Amino acid sequence: MTDFAVADLTTLTSTSSTPTPSDGSPVDCQPLDCNGLTTREINQALKAIAATGQASVTVLNPTGRHNLAVGLETSMLIRFEGSVGYYCGGLSDHANLDIQGNCGWSVGENLMSGQIIVRGDASANAAATARGGKICVLGNAGARAGISLKGATLIVLGNIGAGSAFMMQQGRMIVCGDAGANLADSIYEGEIFVGGAIASLGADAQVEPLTEADWQMLDRELGDWNVKAQDYAFKKVVCAKQLYNFKPRDFAQENAI
Amino acid sequence: MENPILHTSKTYTPEAIHAIQERAELGRYHIRGFGAFRNVPRLDDLVFLTASLTRLPLEGYREKCETKTMLGTRYAKRPIELEIPITIAGMSFGALSRNAKVALGQAATWMGTSTTTGDGGMLAAEREASAQLVYQCLPSRYGFDPKDLKKADAVEIVVGQGAKPGGGGLLLGQKVNQVVAGMRSLPEGVDQRSPCRHPDWIGPDDLRIKIEELREATDWQIPIYVKMGATRVKDDVKLAVKAGADVIVLDGMEGGTAATQSIFQEHVGIPTLPAIVQAVEALKEIGVYGEVQLLVSGGIRSGPDVAKALALGADAVSIGTASLIAMGCNKPIYVEDYHKLGTEPYHCHHCHTGLCPVGIATQEASLMERLPVEEAATHVANYLQAMVMETQAIARACGKSNVHNLEREDLVALTLEASAMAKLPLAGTDFVMGQ
Ligand SMILES: Cc1cc2nc3c(=O)[nH]c(=O)nc-3n(C[C@H](O)[C@H](O)[C@H](O)COP(=O)(O)O)c2cc1C
Ligand code: SF4
Repeated sequence: MTDFAVADLTTLTSTSSTPTPSDGSPVDCQPLDCNGLTTREINQALKAIAATGQASVTVLNPTGRHNLAVGLETSMLIRFEGSVGYYCGGLSDHANLDIQGNCGWSVGENLMSGQIIVRGDASANAAATARGGKICVLGNAGARAGISLKGATLIVLGNIGAGSAFMMQQGRMIVCGDAGANLADSIYEGEIFVGGAIASLGADAQVEPLTEADWQMLDRELGDWNVKAQDYAFKKVVCAKQLYNFKPRDFAQENAI
Repeated sequence: MENPILHTSKTYTPEAIHAIQERAELGRYHIRGFGAFRNVPRLDDLVFLTASLTRLPLEGYREKCETKTMLGTRYAKRPIELEIPITIAGMSFGALSRNAKVALGQAATWMGTSTTTGDGGMLAAEREASAQLVYQCLPSRYGFDPKDLKKADAVEIVVGQGAKPGGGGLLLGQKVNQVVAGMRSLPEGVDQRSPCRHPDWIGPDDLRIKIEELREATDWQIPIYVKMGATRVKDDVKLAVKAGADVIVLDGMEGGTAATQSIFQEHVGIPTLPAIVQAVEALKEIGVYGEVQLLVSGGIRSGPDVAKALALGADAVSIGTASLIAMGCNKPIYVEDYHKLGTEPYHCHHCHTGLCPVGIATQEASLMERLPVEEAATHVANYLQAMVMETQAIARACGKSNVHNLEREDLVALTLEASAMAKLPLAGTDFVMGQ
């Protein structure tokens, strides 16, 4: 894989797409400091703050802790000042997270709607089995990004690791950098756009030409991050649909070729 | 020549010849429903030593014999409280028709027990019919929805199934109609392969974090079960307990499925009998026996099976295939439709085709109509009631006022294999094979 330099994060943080509270109010309540609190207490506090109708909250010292902001049903913006562990925002019906650091495995797992921004790198399984909403990783994402994706959008401005989009079912992945080996193995449906090199495609995945509508969509999605789609040689990966149904190898046909 | 002697190879039996020629046609493995067809050492190989002069029996009909069962007492604020020690196993909507799922829920509710969703998500009608519903979290996550999770009475993380431990699921295209495909976010008509690994965690250390995630999402209210197919039972049980499971669900190789490669059913995993014994030993070795409950399944058909599983140390059992048989699977009706599948009543294992003659394992509306919900539910409830009575009859004859008081001491083995696996004396001897 070629090295991929992520666009300057400081310019990215200042783009217009940074989620703002629904009422436009930038006013935060008292920040929530994780120091000395159990995960249970942090998550209960987040739910309690959301219940007061607060538009946003900042979480201090997440220190890579697992299972933060899990099982949410709120559009309140939660800003993590630091890195988070596994499953941040997982099993959420609706989440609005801004992670100002890196994240562990399975960020936004099974997300149904909303948005999660990871300003650093994401570890393995980013957006695993996510069914809706958008997960934006401004750095790189590790192995198996978008595994079993079921309808959500995963945007990665950097590279993605091996085995990404494994058994992807629906949804969209946009990757500006390179994709590791075995991309989209056993994909059912959905589409993956890769701006860099693809190490190899998995079973039943194929490259297909981009349409004008695809480029417009890429411009829209990446424009939010001040990235120009045309700066990349995007390739589109979809399912070849050759393995949809079990069928025996056609030996006679194979020999004829 | 009169009466020629026909020689049959014990290696190339008619079944082996058929299997070779079938593969020669298909160019792939054979797929079918049901569990292992082969004979394995089973609970039938144990018998009870009931009361005589050394112990007093309880009166068969009237004396109290408690059947209440608690599952998930370790961490959950709301453990599952069952009236009977028999639950309905996870079977997917997709594999089963809507009517079958609703009937199972209704029957379980009447009997005060739980039923379980399956690969493909939670049906609203199933939730409505089931007073206590266990929500499966499978590798495929088809239809998995945080909203449904919050409606669940327990979560069951499925690591594997007895019919195919280490293998993924299959749902052939003929069953993937618009509704099923919609629920699973899949294209209609696809031969759907469910993955065998979870998408978001890999080993037991990750599982611990996954379990915490599920608990956080459900406010630590409901129990979390971990279901496994029986292979390296002792290690698996200990790892699942360490990962934080409230309940271990262990499925032996006799366990049913709607569709898998027959090589898995016949050649993979260990039978339910030794699996129970190993699981109980594992729980005792790490000092959590009684704190973490054990739910076992795989070939449970009768009260004696239930009683033996409990006596070996299980807290409850789960039934899949038997509950379907109670509602009419393999019943000699619509016989011509069994013939169309190339089978006969009592021999059908054709759930994978989607053309179930009795409307259970199908998505065809015309076939499903053959299974009226109320009648199917009544049959399942009657069958559960009968199994409970049989279990109590044995417990009372052993002098127990609670079915959970059945114990190993009440059992002996009829075969050397069963003696070795159960570590029980061979009937009428003091000999325990291997000890
Ligand atoms: C038709 C059918 C569908 C099944 N679907 C599932 C499933 O979706 N998830 C699962 O964990 N087990 C599934 N199983 C396995 C059962 O949960 C259970 O482990 C098994 O049926 C127990 O063995 P028994 O059939 O001998 O009672 C299925 C079994 C059958 C018969
Ligand atoms: S009768 Fe129906 S449920 Fe029973 S084995 Fe045949 S197809 Fe499966």
